[in-house]
Amino acid sequence: MIEVKDLTFSYGKDKQILHGLDFTVEDGEIFGFLGPNGSGKSTTQKILTGILKGHGGKVFLFGQDISTVHTQEFFQKIGVLFEFPYLYANLSAVDNLKYFSSFYPAVRLRDIGELLDMLEFKRDFLKKPVSSYSKGMRQRVSMARVLLTNPRLLFLDEPTSGLDPSGAVLFRRIIEEERQKGTTVFLTTHNMLDADLLCDRVAFISNGSIMALDTPQNLKEKNSSHRIRITYLYQGKREEMIIAASQLESGISFPYDEIVSVHSQEPTLEDMFLQYTGRRLT
Amino acid sequence: MKHFGALLMKDVRLMVSGKFFLMSLGFLILYTLYVNFGYIRFMDVGMYQVYMYDPEGTQKEASSLVHRVPSEKELEAALLEDDNGVGINASNGKLQVLYSEESKKAGCHKADYAISLLRQSEKYNARIMGIQTPEQKARRDITCELLFFEMIAVGFLGIAAVIFKEKNMGVIRVCAILPVKRNWFLLSKITVFLLSDLVFAILLTLFNVGLSDTAGILPGVLLQTAFLSIIMALSGVICALLLKDFRQFTLAYLLITIFAATPVFMSANTPIKLEWIRFHPFYHIYMGLKNAYFEMSGNSPLYYLGCLIAVGGLFAVTLYIFRREMGKER
Repeated sequence: MIEVKDLTFSYGKDKQILHGLDFTVEDGEIFGFLGPNGSGKSTTQKILTGILKGHGGKVFLFGQDISTVHTQEFFQKIGVLFEFPYLYANLSAVDNLKYFSSFYPAVRLRDIGELLDMLEFKRDFLKKPVSSYSKGMRQRVSMARVLLTNPRLLFLDEPTSGLDPSGAVLFRRIIEEERQKGTTVFLTTHNMLDADLLCDRVAFISNGSIMALDTPQNLKEKNSSHRIRITYLYQGKREEMIIAASQLESGISFPYDEIVSVHSQEPTLEDMFLQYTGRRLT
Repeated sequence: MKHFGALLMKDVRLMVSGKFFLMSLGFLILYTLYVNFGYIRFMDVGMYQVYMYDPEGTQKEASSLVHRVPSEKELEAALLEDDNGVGINASNGKLQVLYSEESKKAGCHKADYAISLLRQSEKYNARIMGIQTPEQKARRDITCELLFFEMIAVGFLGIAAVIFKEKNMGVIRVCAILPVKRNWFLLSKITVFLLSDLVFAILLTLFNVGLSDTAGILPGVLLQTAFLSIIMALSGVICALLLKDFRQFTLAYLLITIFAATPVFMSANTPIKLEWIRFHPFYHIYMGLKNAYFEMSGNSPLYYLGCLIAVGGLFAVTLYIFRREMGKER
């Protein structure tokens, strides 16, 4: 779906932002692009969505060179969720969606009411202007705008930003459903939970270079100490023991009365990001 | 065309919510009241009354417009009462012209006028230029000035306010990923403002110049209004896209309106002649509008070429800045 070869980009002569990125995103994959602010992830997304021109290297989307495919047909096939919910504040949710949908062929469009229901949008606000909405409600309308046209490729920039925990769970479920329909998702985020729960593969980007690219599980396993922390009760006292995972194969070798918890000492994606890039995500 | 229609509707709604049309209507009412109940009445100064004391009846050809008085005292009394009047004392066989201190500057003209009324047989009549009455001329003059001011100051401000709104809402970035040609976003705004300005020009001319005179001058006036409206709309978009916020814009707005309008009005309507004014683009546009109001064919093909180049150049610059704005971070 997406093929990027030696992608470079500079703002002006001296300010090089991207230093030769190489990656591919397969059809129906959720690909996470993780990096802190200023790492080049937004610039990459802007190049992929055709907003920024003048890049070096090659970028192919839908099998075609991006430099030549910025036609109306191209924009009909992609959906872009920005980091902030950009909507007309004087229009209602329905009017915003009607306006944005007017640029797409009717056959591609989903039902606005059903979509807003799916996103658990409060019905009382359907006809009120966006200026009266909370950030979470605006984010729901923005997501509706993106999904309204049944895009084949979704670019989502911090999709769960501004949502409460239940809203974030809902959005993750919707993104997962989109993938099951065959939609490819390019997810730009510095939310490790989103990346870990949703992404098939993630790329760590720092200072315009990809420092690591793999599945979240592989990244964590490769760098795992393969140790397990066991919390248990013995003779009325709470104790903790860290053992090698291989030791468990022969059973628990120390005396105990009750096992309270067993945790793998596997690193988090955040730990991995720090290890590969030397920087924290936030 | 369906896409363009959607853009137009959205821009109209933005303007309605920004109360732009209401503001234009308010200005239209204000200008109309000013012209009809203020300016025209103020400009309607009666002609000079001529009073003459001629006890021996030496001025036999005197016009019936001359008021004869029976004594010198009454002549002075008439002039004291009518500051604008002019007196002739023909009692000594010579003509002595009298006028009050207040109207000293116009005195020579008054004297010439008064004496001309005494020599009716000489047929000394000035050639009458044009067919408009002084009131018609005054109406066209002030309507032209008000329309020019409206385009320069109010229209410019209106489109900038719309762009600032869209900038603050961030929706310009969404335009970048919609399957619509980029220049349509600009064209729709320009079209809405152009149509609004043309309607304003029609109504302003109709209400202030009068129905019978409007029909003849309207095509020319609308053409000049269109040029000015598009140029000001594009300038407003450029300023709004380049400047950070409305406060910065207010300063730029003051500078533009003062420097665009003041020297033009001064040069065109006062005896002050500025040598460099021929290099001022708005002077030519103002004169183009004035020529249209007075049905004069003073606009050369070079002027129209200049207008088209200005519109094309400004549109290209606006499109470039608009594309740059779409790629910006919030």
